[in-house]
Amino acid sequence: MKIWAKNCPSRKTNSDWGVDPMNHLISLPLFAVKTTQPSDFGTLAALVVFIVASMWIGWLANKAMQKSSFMKGFFLGNRGLGAWALALTATVQSGGTFMGFPSLVYSHGWVVALWICGYMVVPITGFGILGKRMAHLSRRTGAITVPDLFRSRFDSPMLGLLASLLIMFYMSFMMVAQFKAGAVVMKHSWPGSDSRGLSEDLPAFKLTTNARESLKDRGVPAETVEKLVALDDKGFDSEKDLRAELSKVLSEEGVKQHAVAIVGAAEQLDWHYLIGLGVFTLTVVSYTLLGGFLAAVWTDLFQSVMMLVGVMLLLVLVVSATGGPEAATTAAVAKLGPTYAYGPGYDPTGMGRQFLPVSLAFSFFWVWVYSGVGSPAGMVRIMAGKSTGVIRRSIYLLAGYNLMIYLPLVVICICGRALIDLPAGKTDSIIPELSIFTTKDLPGGSLIAGLILAAPFGAVMATVSSYLVVIASGLVRDVYQRFINPHAPQQTLRRMSYMVMIGVGVIAILANIRPVAYLQVIVVFSGTGAAATFCIPAIMLAFWRRATVAGMIASMLGGAGTMVMLYILGSQGFGEQNIGAASAFRPYFLLGVDPLIWGLAVSLIAGVVISLSTTPPPAETVSRLFDVEPKLTEKPA
Amino acid sequence: MTTSNEDPAVRSARREAWVVFGIWLAALTYTIGYCSQFGYGRSAEDLKFVLGFPDWVFWGVLTPWVVCSAISLWFGATFMCDEDLGEELPEQEDELGLGG
Repeated sequence: MKIWAKNCPSRKTNSDWGVDPMNHLISLPLFAVKTTQPSDFGTLAALVVFIVASMWIGWLANKAMQKSSFMKGFFLGNRGLGAWALALTATVQSGGTFMGFPSLVYSHGWVVALWICGYMVVPITGFGILGKRMAHLSRRTGAITVPDLFRSRFDSPMLGLLASLLIMFYMSFMMVAQFKAGAVVMKHSWPGSDSRGLSEDLPAFKLTTNARESLKDRGVPAETVEKLVALDDKGFDSEKDLRAELSKVLSEEGVKQHAVAIVGAAEQLDWHYLIGLGVFTLTVVSYTLLGGFLAAVWTDLFQSVMMLVGVMLLLVLVVSATGGPEAATTAAVAKLGPTYAYGPGYDPTGMGRQFLPVSLAFSFFWVWVYSGVGSPAGMVRIMAGKSTGVIRRSIYLLAGYNLMIYLPLVVICICGRALIDLPAGKTDSIIPELSIFTTKDLPGGSLIAGLILAAPFGAVMATVSSYLVVIASGLVRDVYQRFINPHAPQQTLRRMSYMVMIGVGVIAILANIRPVAYLQVIVVFSGTGAAATFCIPAIMLAFWRRATVAGMIASMLGGAGTMVMLYILGSQGFGEQNIGAASAFRPYFLLGVDPLIWGLAVSLIAGVVISLSTTPPPAETVSRLFDVEPKLTEKPA
Repeated sequence: MTTSNEDPAVRSARREAWVVFGIWLAALTYTIGYCSQFGYGRSAEDLKFVLGFPDWVFWGVLTPWVVCSAISLWFGATFMCDEDLGEELPEQEDELGLGG
């Protein structure tokens, strides 16, 4: 149980944590290692293996998709997805979920189990509400994309175009954020990096320990460097912010003499970041060009399996190292107080911030479920399912997978609190730190740690890949083929698809040379915004004969408009500022609940009221998609 | 609104969607109800564990999660029925405006 004691740089006694040494916790080594070890080549090697594997998967997908036309093969994988591929790729969240989530558990404690527990029903809601009907409708209409479905169900090109534009609006936010995430992970994996956190976010300037030490080599006096300890690991979004902080810890003369060197050392968007951005973009665009939809799905499947292996491995290692969650929790509560074990969660800032009041716990049970149901990328994958049997099996396969991922991750990070003591700004590195820490004495430990670390990187790649396919299909299928060149030959469509993907890659690089801040919040806005926009319209499309084009447009715009408005109000300082994420770009939690719930409510009311106030759709159009299948040889009137 | 001529796939999909909605609502009600009652505002002395989990997490999160997984197995393996998804619209008929 004390496997790391001899290596521990800063041992503490039991009484340091205020724990009675006579109680049952005596067997638990109640000290934490304050650590951030430099990355070694293991992490980078693991990422390289992932990159090579992804290219290989892209090549395999390229071979597999050549069975039918380019469009159906490239954008829908010939509707051939099996149960495992569908289960582990249609509703599992992006890499961000696996990176941000452990950090939240480490920081706020057991209440994060309540925050995430909506996932207990995500498999059944994600496939059971719309799955069968989406697969059914997409075959009846020949739809390849989600806008295709809206267009053909209501016989309205305008509705299809609106759906396409809204999907691209949300996807663009998500895409830019995910490219940055991939670049940041690569930067952190660089040998010698002192920040192993797989954080998606990265401030423009940050004075890390290594950066501070390097100032001595740049001729900055030791006593000046010593004063900069006060800025350790603080992030700054601009040079101006950093200089303002420097003027508080250094004399005017000191700032004048050394500011350039300090700013240079603190610059985070350095050549490691830019190389990471370039390599990441080249890799993900290349394999998606090669294999299209199937490449995106197969890499997603690959990383999901790797993630499960990593979590199971880490669970055994961490629990055996701490003696279990009970001991770890008791130690944490003794040090941090009861909020680590109860709601609304521990507040590391000490500012009285409530991580999860009951109103937000209620909200998140909606957020996870309806973000899955209303996700356009998830809907496309369901449309690509081979049969209803595949959809059925996906439900229980994903249920088992979620059970083995989320609660074990909570246990891992609660135990991690007893093993490793991380400063507030570095909690996102808890999984990488635990991986290194628990495997360092095992044979082949660095390889195991590298694989655990590389899985989230694979998740980011898979997310970007699937969004590339959705954006390319939106532009090529829903805009170019529908409105500009309906009779475009396959070769032209293929060339257009490739050009769009390369174009998106170039734009993503340009947008990320000076990347946006508030990345995590933007990802949440994008996911919940898409859900508020498409969830109710998709349910109406699938089940309500009386839904009309005007009703659908009102429903989409109502959901989207509500989300945008609540985010604008929140960012302007309206409402309770002491709950939810601490960020300048934030929503207005009207009555304390997430904007998604208001977005869904407005979308539902607008869709139903406007549909009932407008002329019913032609009976023939509805019948063709709801009633016993008409013969396909009969042309519509 | 249904018709006697309604496709069995539509009918079964609608029935299953209602059942799923009910399951979600039940899980939401139980989990948030239980956890808000027993997971908030307690003291350190009150901390009790069940199989290593704080009692409120065990009964309010882990137990319903296991139950929902079991329900998912039942739903996918026995309740949800297979349907013929129909013949795919050939791509050349796409030009008729049906969406392909």
